[in-house]
Amino acid sequence: MAILEVRNVFKLFGGLAACSDVSFSMEPGMIMGLIGPNGAGKTTLFNCITGYYPPTKGEVEFKGQRIDGLSPDKVCKLGMVRTWQKVRPLAKMTVLDNVMVGALARTNSLRAAREIAAEQLEVVKLGPKARFLAGGLPIGERKKLEVARVLATKPEMLLLDEVMGGLNPAESDEIIQLILDIKRRGLTQMVIEHDMKAIMRISDRIVVLNSGEKLAEGLPQEIVNNPEVVTAYLGEAVS
Amino acid sequence: MDAMRPSPSPAPRGSARISVAAAVAVVAALAAVPAFVSNPYALHIMILLFLSVIMGSAWNVVGGYAGQYSVGHAAYYGIGAYVTLIFMTQYRIMPWWGTWVAMAAALAVALVIGSITFRLRGPYFVLASIAVAEVIRLTVLNWKSVTNGAEGILSGPIPKIAFGETTIKFISKVPFYYVGLAMVVATVLANLAVQHSKLGYYFQAIREDQDAAHSLGINLTFHKNVALGISAVFTALAGSYYALYVRFIDPSTVLTIDVSVQMVLICIIGGIGTVLGPVIGALVLVALSETLRSNLITDVLISIGAVSAESRVGAFLKEHLSHAHMLIYGVLVVVVILFMPDGILGWVRQSMRRRALAAAGEKR
Repeated sequence: MAILEVRNVFKLFGGLAACSDVSFSMEPGMIMGLIGPNGAGKTTLFNCITGYYPPTKGEVEFKGQRIDGLSPDKVCKLGMVRTWQKVRPLAKMTVLDNVMVGALARTNSLRAAREIAAEQLEVVKLGPKARFLAGGLPIGERKKLEVARVLATKPEMLLLDEVMGGLNPAESDEIIQLILDIKRRGLTQMVIEHDMKAIMRISDRIVVLNSGEKLAEGLPQEIVNNPEVVTAYLGEAVS
Repeated sequence: MDAMRPSPSPAPRGSARISVAAAVAVVAALAAVPAFVSNPYALHIMILLFLSVIMGSAWNVVGGYAGQYSVGHAAYYGIGAYVTLIFMTQYRIMPWWGTWVAMAAALAVALVIGSITFRLRGPYFVLASIAVAEVIRLTVLNWKSVTNGAEGILSGPIPKIAFGETTIKFISKVPFYYVGLAMVVATVLANLAVQHSKLGYYFQAIREDQDAAHSLGINLTFHKNVALGISAVFTALAGSYYALYVRFIDPSTVLTIDVSVQMVLICIIGGIGTVLGPVIGALVLVALSETLRSNLITDVLISIGAVSAESRVGAFLKEHLSHAHMLIYGVLVVVVILFMPDGILGWVRQSMRRRALAAAGEKR
């Protein structure tokens, strides 16, 4: 059974269709890559799925339950949580406290939350920075903090919005390993990424968006050889 | 460099015990004050200080921890004051029951106001909070049959209270002193409880980034309303205390924006979102406004011989300085905000941290 079903989702901003008739479905445990040129509607689609915007039209089903129109906190409680392309550290709180806020979604005990948070910080290798203020972290560590924080909410599905954006190759590689690690633990992931090499390596399937519409969907190999996708990224060939 | 600073490591158990001991010692010392001090003016200043601490700490829950800068808290303060006095003067209900009614009323109003205004963020929320408080002020001003309008409410003496053999008469300032001290302890403990609970974490997450908080499973409207509710209850307590102490209230003393601004300033000056910040802010502001108003500065300048009382400067200061107290107060507030953005407490902590870092550097 599919864990996530997106059916004919539209999101209109005035006359502009940021998402137009997008449908796809995901099996538990898979990694779905979401790619497309700038402004293709990738983040808007994330926002529609996780409850930041209600879709103008269409349905989103998570674990067999309609979630379109639910607020993000309810979606999080159901087990689906997203990270932010523009990272959002809780700047004046410590790194540990940031992750504890995530952990508190599943427990009322600060002690239990602290334990979960410390565990997740080890997973992303931020343990030594636990007592630092989150606002002072460099970008690479902020991205890791985002991941640790969502993992602490004990999700079944993660939506990662450009967690490798702005990272150097070594840092990107760490994140790739982290994503594959999360997959081995059985979590489902949807990943927006601009780094083609990375996304081809980690994705089981890929959805391509262009101007809000789904241009293609398939295995990574099918996507790289799809002429329409090549055109969308590189423009028409001069004939 | 500053951005990279590690936050102060959590206090080890020993030092937590020391702070508890220190707090108990301070409260015990304050409790002993009336035994040694009988000067009514001194007790009056202490009562004003207690009132300011309660007001600041109350606002701190929603403004400091949850980051929702309400500039309309006069509404809850006024409701606390009016409900208590109306119940006492018109329905003969003892104030120690009326205060509870007042707090419940403030809570109810807060939840209504919260559900409307918390749809707004940032400056729009601030403006809405001011507007709602004005609506309540105008309502009280015009609902003459209940509130007596602009004339305000003047109450007779507070009925005495009897515990078996002992009766407490609220004639001298001493009973008010103890009631105020107890309220301060309760309000500060409430702040402490908020800070060390899931609520506190959620409030701060909302303050730091609402969208991130929302995505991590935090129901924004619900938690903002909880913060406002706690804050409004203690604000009403302060209003009730004021009304019973002064025994005269009117819309221009308990429902003006001055009250709201005062509450915000206490926190900003002391240190926003900390347990001790509002306490320090209240200490500084009460001391400052009393010194300026009583013309203590001129007296000191004259007594140390800096200016002669007969000189033109001395005469000028004597004549005018106390009238300029609001001006000087304002300038000082601006200076603190400009140079100590984290308040006095934040500034002290930062300089201590710098000194510790420098000391560590020297050792190396």
